[in-house]
Amino acid sequence: MAKNSKKDVARANYVKLYDHDPLADVDAETRAKVSELENYIMKNCLWQFNSRGWDRRKQNAGVLGKTAQLLVGEEVENPTPLDKCYWVDAVLLARNFTERCGWLAEMGKDEIRPLIDKLHARIDWLTIDGSLNEELTVQNY
Amino acid sequence: MNCQVKVKDRVGTINPIFTCQPAGAQFASIGVKDCIGIVHGGQGCVMFVRLLISQHLKESFEIASSSVHEDGAVFGALDRVETAVDVLLMRYPHVKVVPIITTCSTEVIGDDVDGLITKLEEGLLAEKYAGREVHLLAIHSPSFVGSMVSGYDVAVRDFVKKFAKKGEPSEKINLLTGWVNPGDVKELKHLVSELGVEANVLFEIESFDSPLMPDGTAVSHGNTTIADLEATGSAMHTFALNRYEGGKAAQYLEKKFKIPSTIGPTPIGIRNTDALVKKLSQVTGKPIPASLVKERGIALDAISDVAHMFLADKKVAIYGAADLVIGLAEYCLDLEMRPQLLLLGDDNAGYVNDPRIKALQDNVDYPMEIITNADFWELENRIKNEGLELDLILGHSKGRFISIDYNIPMVRVGFPTYDRAGIYRNPVVGYGGATWLAEQMANALFTDMEHKKNKEWLLNVW
Amino acid sequence: MPYHEFEVSKCIPERKQHAVVKGPGEDLTSCLPKGYLNTIPGSISERGCAYCGAKHVIGTPMKDVIHLSHGPVGCTYDTWQTKRYISDNNDYQLKYTFASDVKEKHIVFGAEKLLKQNILEAFKAFPEIKRMTIYQTCATALIGDDVDAIAAEVKEELPDVDIFVCNSPGFAGPSQSGGHHKINIAWINQKVGTIEPKITGDYVINYVGEYNIQGDQEIMVDFFKRMGIQVLSTFTGNGSYDDLRTMHGAHLNVLECARSAEYICDELRVRYGIPRLDIDGFGHKALGDSLRKIGLFFGIEDRAEAIIAEETAKWGPELAWYKERLQGKKVCLWPGGSKLWHWAHAIQEEMGVKVVSVYTKFGHQGDMEKGVSRCGEGALAIDDPNELENQEALRNLKPDVIFTGKRPGEVAKKMRVPYLNAHAYHNGPYKGFEGWVRFARDIYNAVYSPMHQLSAIDISKDDYATDKGFVTRRMLSDANLSDEAKASPITGYSGKFDPIAAIRAKTDADYPVYPRRSAAEAAE
Repeated sequence: MAKNSKKDVARANYVKLYDHDPLADVDAETRAKVSELENYIMKNCLWQFNSRGWDRRKQNAGVLGKTAQLLVGEEVENPTPLDKCYWVDAVLLARNFTERCGWLAEMGKDEIRPLIDKLHARIDWLTIDGSLNEELTVQNY
Repeated sequence: MNCQVKVKDRVGTINPIFTCQPAGAQFASIGVKDCIGIVHGGQGCVMFVRLLISQHLKESFEIASSSVHEDGAVFGALDRVETAVDVLLMRYPHVKVVPIITTCSTEVIGDDVDGLITKLEEGLLAEKYAGREVHLLAIHSPSFVGSMVSGYDVAVRDFVKKFAKKGEPSEKINLLTGWVNPGDVKELKHLVSELGVEANVLFEIESFDSPLMPDGTAVSHGNTTIADLEATGSAMHTFALNRYEGGKAAQYLEKKFKIPSTIGPTPIGIRNTDALVKKLSQVTGKPIPASLVKERGIALDAISDVAHMFLADKKVAIYGAADLVIGLAEYCLDLEMRPQLLLLGDDNAGYVNDPRIKALQDNVDYPMEIITNADFWELENRIKNEGLELDLILGHSKGRFISIDYNIPMVRVGFPTYDRAGIYRNPVVGYGGATWLAEQMANALFTDMEHKKNKEWLLNVW
Repeated sequence: MPYHEFEVSKCIPERKQHAVVKGPGEDLTSCLPKGYLNTIPGSISERGCAYCGAKHVIGTPMKDVIHLSHGPVGCTYDTWQTKRYISDNNDYQLKYTFASDVKEKHIVFGAEKLLKQNILEAFKAFPEIKRMTIYQTCATALIGDDVDAIAAEVKEELPDVDIFVCNSPGFAGPSQSGGHHKINIAWINQKVGTIEPKITGDYVINYVGEYNIQGDQEIMVDFFKRMGIQVLSTFTGNGSYDDLRTMHGAHLNVLECARSAEYICDELRVRYGIPRLDIDGFGHKALGDSLRKIGLFFGIEDRAEAIIAEETAKWGPELAWYKERLQGKKVCLWPGGSKLWHWAHAIQEEMGVKVVSVYTKFGHQGDMEKGVSRCGEGALAIDDPNELENQEALRNLKPDVIFTGKRPGEVAKKMRVPYLNAHAYHNGPYKGFEGWVRFARDIYNAVYSPMHQLSAIDISKDDYATDKGFVTRRMLSDANLSDEAKASPITGYSGKFDPIAAIRAKTDADYPVYPRRSAAEAAE
């Protein structure tokens, strides 16, 4: 019989990455593109809204990291079930991005990755570092 | 003795017939005009009662909470009441009456609500609300005592106690209706007005059945005014129609203001309505008008159409508030029916000494059980495991699954009756109520005959 | 911060931080109301208590359990028959509720003995039920009854029963949400892992945060079964107590109502490494994407695609028919927590309505993040709106319909705003492809009710044509549509009154049989 884990709940802390909107410094075109992608995520996705900051950091990195890989045609490895879970959200995201944002097809791989990095920074800003949600730092679930 | 009075022999409750005291106090509070109660306890104690009332009446009523959270439960929560009174008065400028209704949690914590009221009267009301008419009163209704029925009884008494004043002796009577429906109040007001009697009605809830108006501004509220409550102290007589829902107030008025009172019988059925009408006439000296003789005749005419042909010998179980249940049982006997099981949903020790129950014990010639502190399992277990056969159930909506699962027709009476439309609009009291009840019961049996194909052809020539 | 100050709440300034208007260019770093804070006493909030969050919302949907509340009868009575969470166990959990019936003498002398007798009586009354949940209430928590000790004692005496204890008295938190949290954590600590699961398939999920309102769970489980997925447990609608003890054995947690059940998913992820996949069962696109993701996770996306193709072909045209007729209708959303974000975007996209406000009764800031993100510019977001704020908002926003609870629904009715029950639904289920059309149908029926039109007329003043003996919904909804749209052969929703009966009638033979994977494949 499996024993109930008495392990303490996660107490992971996370470091602050951004102290201002990372889109503030980018050119208008990139900003417009990131905004379009961001808007899709915010309207349709839920993975970015885990309840705690440390989980959001992992979720954003996991899903958007794999999304970038998919968009540039890199092979995605999913060694753990958690990776696989990021991957399924990434697959849907990559598909919807490609479908909705025709301009993605015209971008080279070397342009896509920095764009998704910017998107990642922006989502981290919105959901973690710039977030007004006072429960993100609560130390248990 | 064929009729046995027993206390439920289990300690627990499987499917409760009643909710707890604060609900009764809240129901009373909404009958008062310009009144918003504050329930001192957790938020569920209010939210669910407001929901329950809105389920029953399909209307919304305003009742506030002191919203006791964890810290209040540990350190005392009187500060929550202080804030609640202030916030309520600031935001509801029409409010004049604020009962503070206690619950189990705040009674266990031991919050001194009475002391707080004095403090607020001398502080907040005198300073911030000087010049505004505001009355605070404490209603102690811990959930671990009695039931929603006793909570109503306590609240009526406390409202009367707070406001009743000795004035010039008046010709008016006090009419304490008990926990009834808008349709009942309408019927009762009609009876007294036919007799030419004026009454302080506690509570004036006919207006609970309120309109949907083109400008969208209608709201449901009770209409018993502070003046009505004050006038109870100078009335010539108190009629508390329900012994357990207003009886305490009648006793208070009798003791404090020497106002004679008539407590009960619940005017359900022709005979009990007659008793009320006779007594009203006797007390006020007003003759019983021909109009009521005719009205009574119309009721008897309608009832005669269904009584000895269809209702006679039908076995019925009745549950709910004691006054309602006993009144219905008495009427059923007059209709030649056979009440089998009466379930009274709380542990009021007074039930065994109720003269109406004594009369049942003296006169019923077949086995009848009266269970106090009852729950729905007392009914269901008898049907499911002990062979109780019934033709009809009378009671409120919380018992609906017994009717559904055991295929026994049911007439919805009492509170709450959320699973049928418009029940609250009809009276069960008075001559009108007698007609409505007899016809509802007959129609329920008819529908059941058709549903079960049980002599459904009988109705071809009725 | 684009706070919205209500006229009626100027005298309680702390309320100002609980309402925002999402203006142009606003995002979550500039526009988010406060949430899950203590309620302002006397404000006439619509919130419930932590006991109801635990017992009524999450505990009771478990179908094969005696649900016993330790306290006076009121808590039990009040949380009985006020929800529509059905079950395929003859609705046992809906029909039967148990109270230990604590009275004054027990408050003085303790109620532990009483509780024990209660437990024994309840098991005796229902000998076929061997599982029990016990909920603390305010009164018994305050007198300090040791419910765990009594439960342990009974388990000793009756070895074939199992008992779960939830200590979530009404005062434990600002709202029912405190109770959601307490029962999540109590369940994983006490029960998960205490029996081993029976795995019958290759793809095993827990379906979490789903309460089977009007049959939602059964609709969704039907999809999962059509995909060849084993639903090990549902937390908790139509769920079985013992199944929920085996949650640790699933490959994936599929989470619907994150508000009420993310805690257990998060704990399962930390303790057992089971991923948490948040989904939306509402809306054709969102539900389709949700099924796709689950399919992708297990490498069976084709099965999801087949279902999506079949269902959208069947129900898409009817949804489009309603969308055409609901275009631009203004909607107020006032659910408990999760439906504000489940619905905010999907109903705008797929039904054409405009969400003018999103309120939450007991949500946290996390819910408002999702809600604010998912609604459009100009929407008013309110945390725990009180009675007067709601009325002020209704007067200002003039919505065509509000989705809220039964009691606030009555307030709206009086203000001539038709309401749909956001918690229990009008004529649900609303999940699933068909359910979403049922939702659209209910909105349409509310908005275009001829009675609603009549209620606006003051016959003493208004001049209106009395030349018609009747008006149909179509006459109202199609008045300004194109001839082509008017000529549509569709006449609205074509399904049955009860779509659940057909699902319950299904046997294993009605579901596709997929070959089990070999050990080598499974290891991949």
